[in-house]
Amino acid sequence: MTDSDILLRVENLSKHFPTKSGSVKAVDGVTFDVKRGTIVGLVGESGSGKTTVGRCTLRLIEPSGGRLIFDGKDLVSLSDREMRSYRRRMQIVFQDPYSSLNPRMRVEEIIGEAIDTHRLARGSARRERISELLARVGLDPEHGRRYPHEFSGGQRQRIGIARALAVEPEFIVADEPVSALDVSVQAQVLNLIQDLQQSFGLTMLFIAHDLSVVEYLCDEVVVMYLGRVMERGPSRTVYAMPRHPYTQALLSAAPVPNPKAHRQRVILQGDIPSPMNPPTGCVFRTRCPFAIDACAEVIPPLDPVAPGHYAACIRRDDPAVLSQGKRL
Amino acid sequence: MNSLPADIVLRVDRLRTHFELGSRVAKSVDDVSFDVKRGETVAVVGESGSGKSVTSLSIMRLLSPPGRIVGGQILYRAGDGRVLDVAAVSQKEMRRIRGREIAMIFQEPMTSLNPLYTVGDQIVEMIRLHEPLPKQEARKRARRMLELVEIPAAERRLDEYPHQMSGGMRQRAMIALALSCNPKLLIADEPTTALDVTIQAQILDLLRRLQAEIGMSILFITHNLGVVADIAHEVVVMYAGRVVEQASSQRLFERQKHPYARGLLACIPDASRDRTPSGERLRLNPIPGNVPSVMALPKGCSFAPRCPLRIPRCEEDPPLLVAEPHHLSRCWRHDEL
Ligand SMILES: Nc1ncnc2c1ncn2[C@@H]1O[C@H](COP(=O)(O)OP(=O)(O)OP(=O)(O)O)[C@@H](O)[C@H]1O
Ligand SMILES: Nc1ncnc2c1ncn2[C@@H]1O[C@H](COP(=O)(O)OP(=O)(O)OP(=O)(O)O)[C@@H](O)[C@H]1O
Ligand code: SF4
Ligand SMILES: [Mg+2]
Ligand SMILES: [Mg+2]
Repeated sequence: MTDSDILLRVENLSKHFPTKSGSVKAVDGVTFDVKRGTIVGLVGESGSGKTTVGRCTLRLIEPSGGRLIFDGKDLVSLSDREMRSYRRRMQIVFQDPYSSLNPRMRVEEIIGEAIDTHRLARGSARRERISELLARVGLDPEHGRRYPHEFSGGQRQRIGIARALAVEPEFIVADEPVSALDVSVQAQVLNLIQDLQQSFGLTMLFIAHDLSVVEYLCDEVVVMYLGRVMERGPSRTVYAMPRHPYTQALLSAAPVPNPKAHRQRVILQGDIPSPMNPPTGCVFRTRCPFAIDACAEVIPPLDPVAPGHYAACIRRDDPAVLSQGKRL
Repeated sequence: MNSLPADIVLRVDRLRTHFELGSRVAKSVDDVSFDVKRGETVAVVGESGSGKSVTSLSIMRLLSPPGRIVGGQILYRAGDGRVLDVAAVSQKEMRRIRGREIAMIFQEPMTSLNPLYTVGDQIVEMIRLHEPLPKQEARKRARRMLELVEIPAAERRLDEYPHQMSGGMRQRAMIALALSCNPKLLIADEPTTALDVTIQAQILDLLRRLQAEIGMSILFITHNLGVVADIAHEVVVMYAGRVVEQASSQRLFERQKHPYARGLLACIPDASRDRTPSGERLRLNPIPGNVPSVMALPKGCSFAPRCPLRIPRCEEDPPLLVAEPHHLSRCWRHDEL
C-alpha cells in the first residue's frame, strides 16, 4: 500500500480538556489510517473519545497534540485561512437529527446555506442542485419548502446527509448517524450511506456503538477505550479473531437476535474509570479478566498481530487470551 | 369474581388506552392481551411509538391525563390470593400494590431516584413503607439489597447521593430500590437502553440471576430484539398500539408468523447473512415507509401500507389469530409464512 491510498492518517492524536477539577484526557495518542473509498468504524463505550476524535479530524475542535495528515497535508499546521479549502472536502453528519437542524429554516435553506458558504452555485443552478440532493437522499424535491419538524427521524437524518453532501466532500465523519433511529428506518439509512459511498467514492469515518452495524458496514474497525486505541484492523479479521480482551468482552456482550447463540459471555466487572484519572499502564486493566501486575507498569504499544491488524495488550499472544478470542 | 389460572400472575385482557386530544384520539394501546406466568420473563418489543410504555403505565395506573384506560381488564393475582382488576381498583388500593407487589424500573434512573436523599435513605424508606422494621434493621436490609445488585462497598454507597454514582451504578441502585420489597412482578421499561453493552450485559445477567433467586415475574419492555433473545421466555410484538404477534422466544426467532416481525429481523444487519463470504456487502432489506401515527391509523391491518404480502383482504382488520399452537399472529396470511 502506498501513502497515496491513504486519505486520512491520524497520528498520535491527543485532546485534553482542562476542567476545574483537572485535565480530562479524552483522546490520548490515537493512531489509525483511513484509506480512500473505505468506511472505517470507530467503536467503544460511552466516553471513550469517539466524538472527540471525529471532531478533531475536522478541526471542529483543536487537537492538543499529534498530526492529521489529510491527502498528504498536515491539517494541524494549517492556518484558519488555509483550512477553509479543506473544510469543503470534509463534512460531518450528527447523531441527533432533531437538534442538528435549525428548526426555523426551511430544508432548502439548510442545504442552500452549505452551498452558499462555499459559493458552489447560484440562482437556478443552486435550486437545481438542492432538488438533486433531496432526490439523491430519497426525499421529494417538494420537501424543500418544509421545516425540519415536519419530518420523521429517518427523514431528518436524510436531510443531514443531504446537507453534508451539498459541498461534494471527499470525506465524511458520521457520528452515530443511525443510533437514534428505529431498526426498520436504520436499514433504509444504511442502504443510502452505501449507495452514496459507491456512487461518489466517499471515504468515511463511521462512529457507532452498535457492533453489528459496524461489522456489516465497515471495512476496518478501530476499538477505543478511555481515549486510547485498544485494537484496530480489517473488520472481518477483528470480528473473527479479536485479540484484545476489551474487544473480546465488547463482542461477547453485544446482544444478537438469536436465543440459540449461547455465546461465551465475558461479563466485565465494574464501570469505566474516570478519564480524569485513568489507570496507569493499560487503561483497561481494572476491568480486564486477564490483567496481571505487569499490566500496570507499561502502556502496551499497538503492535501488529496480523496484516493490518493491531492490538495493544501485553498478553495478546497468551494462550488464554487467544482461546477467548477464538471462542466468540 | 375475577379468576386466573394458578400459574398466571398478570393477565392483560383486551386493554385499550387512549389519549383524547381535542377532537382527535390517539389509540396508543388498542386491544392488547397477554399473560405473564409466575417466574417468567415476558418481553414486549416494538419500535418507537408502538405503545409499549403506555401499556406498562396502564398496568401501573400511572397514566397522566388525557391518557385513560377505556376498555379491557388487567387481572393481577395479589399476594393475599385475591385476583384484582388493576384497571378498576381504587387509587388507594393501587398505591398499596405499587412498589410492594408490582415494582417498576425505567430507562432513566433519576425518574425513580430522588436526587436530594442518599440511596440508603431511599431504600430504607421504601422498606419501612411496606414493613414496620426498626431503622437499623431496615438499613441492614438496604445494604443487602445493594450487595444483591453487586454494588461494591455497599456500606459506604448507602450514604452516597445518586449523582455521586456512575450511570451503571445508578441503574443498579434503582433496581435495588425496586426490589427492596420483594415484588412479585417487575416491570422494566427499557432499563438498559441508555447503557453501554458491557453494562447492559451486567444488568441483564443480574436480572436473570435475581429472577432465579426470588422467583419474580418480569415484564421487560424494549425495542432491541437482541435483548429480547437474551432475556425473554415469551415475546409480545407490538405495532401501532396492537399486539401483532406472540410466541415463545425460541419459536418467534425461529419462525415469524407476521410480516412485521419477519421484516424487523431481516433488516437488522448481520454480517454472516448480509456480506458475502468474500466480504462484499449486500443491500439490507428495510421495511419501507414509517410507523403510522396512532392518531391516524390506516384502515384495516395497520401494517398493510408497508407490507410486502398485502392483498385486498388486508383492508379488513385481521384479528389476533392462532397461527400455530402457542403462536399468535394478526395477519390474514400467517399460514403462508
Ligand atoms: N468539552 C469538554 N470538556 C470536558 N470534557 C469533555 C468535553 N468533551 C468531551 N469531554 C470528555 O471527554 C471524554 C470523551 O468524550 P466523547 O464525547 O469523545 O466520548 P464518546 O466516545 O463520543 O462517547 P459517547 O458514546 O457517549 O458519545 C468524556 O469523558 C467526556 O466527558
Ligand atoms: N401524553 C400523551 N399524549 C398524547 N399521546 C401520547 C401520550 N403519551 C403517549 N402518546 C402516544 O401514544 C403512542 C405510544 O406511545 P408509547 O410511549 O407507549 O410508545 P413506546 O412504544 O413506549 O415508544 P418508545 O420506544 O419511543 O418508548 C405514541 O404514538 C405516543 O405519541
Ligand atoms: S394482514 Fe395483510 S397487510 Fe397485514 S401483515 Fe398480513 S399480509 Fe401484511
Ligand atoms: Mg459521542
Ligand atoms: Mg417507551
